[in-house]
Amino acid sequence: MSRALAWLYVVGGGIGLVAAVALILERLAVLADPTHVPLCSINPVVSCGSVMESPQAAAFGFPNPLIGIAAFAVVVTVGVVGLTGFTPPRWFRLGMLVGTALGLLFVHWLIFASLYDIRALCPYCMVVWAVMAPLFWYTLLDTFALPSLRRVHSVILALWYVVIVALILQAFWDFWTS
Amino acid sequence: MTRSKNPVTAARRGVSLNVILTAVVVVVAVLVVGGILLFKNSGSDEGAVPASVLAPEGSHTLTEAPDGAVTVVEFLDYQCPACEQYYKTVTSKIEQDYAGKITFVVRNYPLDMHPLAMPAARAAEAAALQGKFREMYRALYENYNEWALAPDGQAVSDDVERATELFRGYAEASGLDVAKFTADLASPEVQARIDKDIADGKAAGVSGTPSIFVGGQLFEPTGETYADVERQLRERIDAELAE
Repeated sequence: MSRALAWLYVVGGGIGLVAAVALILERLAVLADPTHVPLCSINPVVSCGSVMESPQAAAFGFPNPLIGIAAFAVVVTVGVVGLTGFTPPRWFRLGMLVGTALGLLFVHWLIFASLYDIRALCPYCMVVWAVMAPLFWYTLLDTFALPSLRRVHSVILALWYVVIVALILQAFWDFWTS
Repeated sequence: MTRSKNPVTAARRGVSLNVILTAVVVVVAVLVVGGILLFKNSGSDEGAVPASVLAPEGSHTLTEAPDGAVTVVEFLDYQCPACEQYYKTVTSKIEQDYAGKITFVVRNYPLDMHPLAMPAARAAEAAALQGKFREMYRALYENYNEWALAPDGQAVSDDVERATELFRGYAEASGLDVAKFTADLASPEVQARIDKDIADGKAAGVSGTPSIFVGGQLFEPTGETYADVERQLRERIDAELAE
């Protein structure tokens, strides 16, 4: 595992962890006081309240951010261990690849649910979307050689961000007129 | 990509190529998005939309100024969540505070993405045929959660039968002749009226809901909260009234 990837795990996993914790805290606040309006509910489009209360926000019967808290904590830990210089065996790195791939898959499902079904955006969730892509992508590049992809590693990542931003703009173009 | 076989130079070129291409992708994306936004803003800065398009004779109003000095026109979709929020936090207050000082016209602009927007627009128009437009307008928004949302309280409902039943209830509560109301719901006259609203909205440059025009100009709030929207709308109306 490269040092750069270890740092990415620490920083990216840390950001994801903070977002997941924030989501859980907002959810608890809403449970304690149903009239509580989450900090991130700014307007009809940017509204984590409506996203958090959607069925997709508890895809497995419990709030998704619980998965985030557990999984991002693992990512941070692996990053810190990587920074000590420990080189994990191949099976471990494949495990990280499978984990981040499942995370990215889940995030895409949530993106499409948010844009086309719930029709609202939740800033904390978008933070998770944003960190999940590089976590998976650089794990993939670190696990397999893939020289042609490595040569344009950040181009592909940037294209992913551009596509997501374009989908967001397109999805909410008519909703919020101004 | 196959220009260089030497792994060392390939790596070096790869890095710069990667950085350059990334920069290109980001710059192009920013330019395209920025360009579209700029184009959109300049496009809506054209001259005032004529009153014959925005508020033709016989338009439904929430309040009317005797002199008709300032006209506020809202194109709305009864099932659009943002429109309901506008009603609750912005337009119902404006309507009260400026009662008799402005003319507030309501036009239909049901969007395809809201399955009950058209039935609700028909209910409002059917009530208008019995002179109770304002009552039905209010009933639709005051009872939004009841008819517009699915039983889970989240997604927009698509249950036309349930909504129609509720609309009949609102009609009865407003003292309408329910039999006539029910017949009017399906009448071509009501549909023609809504179609005219949509056509006028398109001609006026409406691209979503709610779209509000003050003095023929599209009102474009820049704030992030409904309180900002309300404040800005008041400023616009006050400026028009002062003219």
